[in-house]
Amino acid sequence: MQRASWQDPTVQDELAAWDARLVHLGLHLDPAELEDRLWVLARGYTHVRNRVLAPLQPYYRILGTNQSWRMFVAPHRYPARLHISVEEGGSWREVYVARDPQLDWLGPQLDHDRFRSALFRYAWPSYGKAWSELCEWISRQAARDFPQARRVRLRFWKARTPSPQKARQGIEPPGRWVRARTLDLEPLRPAAAP
Amino acid sequence: MSAGNGWAMSAWNRWVALLSRREAGTGLALFRIAIGLCVLGTIGTVVGHDLVGVLWVDRSHDGYRTLGAGPWLVALLGGPTPRVVWSLVVLTLAAGLAMVLGMGARLAALVALQGVLALTWLNPHAGGSYDDLLTNALWLLVLGDAGATLSLSCRLRTGRWTSDRTVPAWPRWLAVLQLILAYASTGMQKLSVYWVPGGDFSALYYILQQPSWQRTDMRWVADWFPLTQVATALTWAWEVSSPLVLLTFWARADPARGGRLRGLLLRLDYRRPFALVGLAMHLSTLVLMNVGPFSAITLSYYLCLWSPDELAALGRLRRPASAMPPRPAQPSPSGSTTHPGG
Repeated sequence: MQRASWQDPTVQDELAAWDARLVHLGLHLDPAELEDRLWVLARGYTHVRNRVLAPLQPYYRILGTNQSWRMFVAPHRYPARLHISVEEGGSWREVYVARDPQLDWLGPQLDHDRFRSALFRYAWPSYGKAWSELCEWISRQAARDFPQARRVRLRFWKARTPSPQKARQGIEPPGRWVRARTLDLEPLRPAAAP
Repeated sequence: MSAGNGWAMSAWNRWVALLSRREAGTGLALFRIAIGLCVLGTIGTVVGHDLVGVLWVDRSHDGYRTLGAGPWLVALLGGPTPRVVWSLVVLTLAAGLAMVLGMGARLAALVALQGVLALTWLNPHAGGSYDDLLTNALWLLVLGDAGATLSLSCRLRTGRWTSDRTVPAWPRWLAVLQLILAYASTGMQKLSVYWVPGGDFSALYYILQQPSWQRTDMRWVADWFPLTQVATALTWAWEVSSPLVLLTFWARADPARGGRLRGLLLRLDYRRPFALVGLAMHLSTLVLMNVGPFSAITLSYYLCLWSPDELAALGRLRRPASAMPPRPAQPSPSGSTTHPGG
């Protein structure tokens, strides 16, 4: 549990919605105060839980009896979609966009459920090292598959999911690029023969 | 003996009697076959998508992540190198196949368990709750006698694929407990305003819009928003109320004892609506989303919701013996009692 993750707009939206609901019930708390109190409560609960379960950890670890079932506990209102582009002849060309059947370079691998799980995590700030390592791995594949490309760019488009009404009207809410990385491909290629 | 000691002894005797109950091995055998197929699918798709060397091999050998020494078994074997990881992949697939065929079922489940654990814990970023659900099932199959029937070992032992040999019932009950624990616990953690009553029940609509899990573009779901609201409310209520299934098991454990609550639970048999909603939910998930083997693994547990007698009756499409008025329990060859219900 990381406080930085609570700054994500999805979490902030949830806190604001709960604050409004509590106000409706007559409990007036400043949103920042609600967040602070919840943070203390969550940390305390996690600390006690970890202490209680500590003796059982070897059993969980050796026999695979872990019991962690946080499955879709909240929708991600600001989800992120991975875009990969290569720079060829001075202009950028998209080669992969998650769930776009036309732009599916590395699709068989990146669209597998295990990679989806990893990519879901890497749009969050707390997975910086693993995201950098994945970018390097993808750059090696790009250097091989796009011999004319000079650079590869990886980034997530993070935007609020439109409400059903806005989706029916075709309105796409604004978003922003996050976790952008651009890597040179030339150093990854074998030196040209003399 | 004090009254307290007498009560404790009586409770202990009832507990021992409960755990001594035996039943035909069909239910646990079907669970074994289904979970064996899930092992093959879980590992097999990683092989099929050419991901073994990417996800589970260390960066120093062209994997994408630094994996360190890996879980204890991988560390013991020499770390996440291609040779170690591929050996584990082959061994786990072989164990999954042995589970399906029913060859040394317990040992196969143990090997598959350790293989799945070692591989999936190499890179926990690339996994999910379905890995835990799978390894929990495998451990139950190590504990239970899942190879008594519908197995190659049965064929070698008796000359037939099926056998009437009874097995302890408690591993199947534990599988049900595991299923309910997963559902109830995830339901109780669904505290988002989009899930709980008082909001607009839009959780499933927004979850279907997440690129991470959707199979394809899902903007069309906006036209069906009211249906997703009903599905959200139903899913939340169904998960939170899933422990009712355990009450059904309690009622069926001793139907002859009577009582209004027990009678009501026996008449209603909450397992049927529970399984129908669960089946609809998991099949919808399978069609609309890509969450890996989650639905297949979870539905495998459903095979344990019914006793072997009831499963056989379902197969024959007739009223099961356990749905008839309760009869006295019959002694089994082992001296303990067989029980028709739950």
